[in-house]
Amino acid sequence: MSARVRLWVFLLACLCVVPAVIHVARRMPEFGAHPLPYGDAINARATRERHVTNMVSAVNFDYRGIDTLGEEFMLLCAVTGTTVLLRGTRPQPLADRPGQVAGREVRPASDAVVLICRMFGAAILVFGLYIALHAMTTPGGGFQGGVIIASGFMLIYLGEGYRGWRGLMRPELLDAAEGAGATLYAVAGFAAMAAGLPFLTNFLPLGQPKDVFSGGLMLVENVGVALAVAGGFAVLFVEFLKETRTEQNGEDS
Amino acid sequence: MTALIVILLLLSAATGTGVVLSRIPTRQVLALAANGLVLALLFMALQAPDVAFSELAVGTVATPLLFLAVLASIHMVRRTGKPEQE
Repeated sequence: MSARVRLWVFLLACLCVVPAVIHVARRMPEFGAHPLPYGDAINARATRERHVTNMVSAVNFDYRGIDTLGEEFMLLCAVTGTTVLLRGTRPQPLADRPGQVAGREVRPASDAVVLICRMFGAAILVFGLYIALHAMTTPGGGFQGGVIIASGFMLIYLGEGYRGWRGLMRPELLDAAEGAGATLYAVAGFAAMAAGLPFLTNFLPLGQPKDVFSGGLMLVENVGVALAVAGGFAVLFVEFLKETRTEQNGEDS
Repeated sequence: MTALIVILLLLSAATGTGVVLSRIPTRQVLALAANGLVLALLFMALQAPDVAFSELAVGTVATPLLFLAVLASIHMVRRTGKPEQE
């Protein structure tokens, strides 16, 4: 298909789609309006019913906790699938030495990069823990904290180089964190069933509102999500960055 | 709608167009990261800090990093193993 024909096809498609888009856009609610009652209902009830001040956490872990369980296992399956694919295609163990891209030299990180990463790497790990722990009181939660912790791992990689980073990223620990996190969430649900209640019922004492340890069972689920997300992302990073290493018996430089 | 939100919406449109128009994969990855950064700021301005955290970490760190690792792996000079297609 030549560029000219493609342009005509594009214009024709625009002619069909644009009126429909305009029609829908004109009937959309005002910017910032939320016509559905669900958000207001949660805002009015969650603090009284669940003793938490972060309504998003109340929805994610309690009112719609089963959705988050499914999401957790989707993440677990995606990470496991990627890991199996990548590990399965490697013929031999990989060396620590970085692979060579044609026309690009391998340089060590500059002092400025190392300094900045050492300063901010640890700070971001602490910030991630803070976000994950304060899921019930302030915006954020296990997923956000988990991905921020994983970003902190990447700063450690930039600062310490591949070898130092891999010394910290023990695969057995990361795999365990990923699996245990998802399992913890499911176990929290079955624990409610063992107590004679429906799956994922919040049966633990709810605590005081605005307290870090409020929310009852949501706290356990939140820890599970944080572990699974931080572990899962770290496993992904390790497996992908392994792909940039040389194969062990191929070195001659 | 405040001026801040208007500016961020325009910026997100501009960076999104930048992603589409970049033809070199490495640059496209960086354009994607820039788009993720603008989106994170937009979510922050729309008072959704938790979504902003996720977007910042996933869209600006994780996704570009995985793409960069894949690009580096594709362009790597391999001396052993199966013959590579260039």
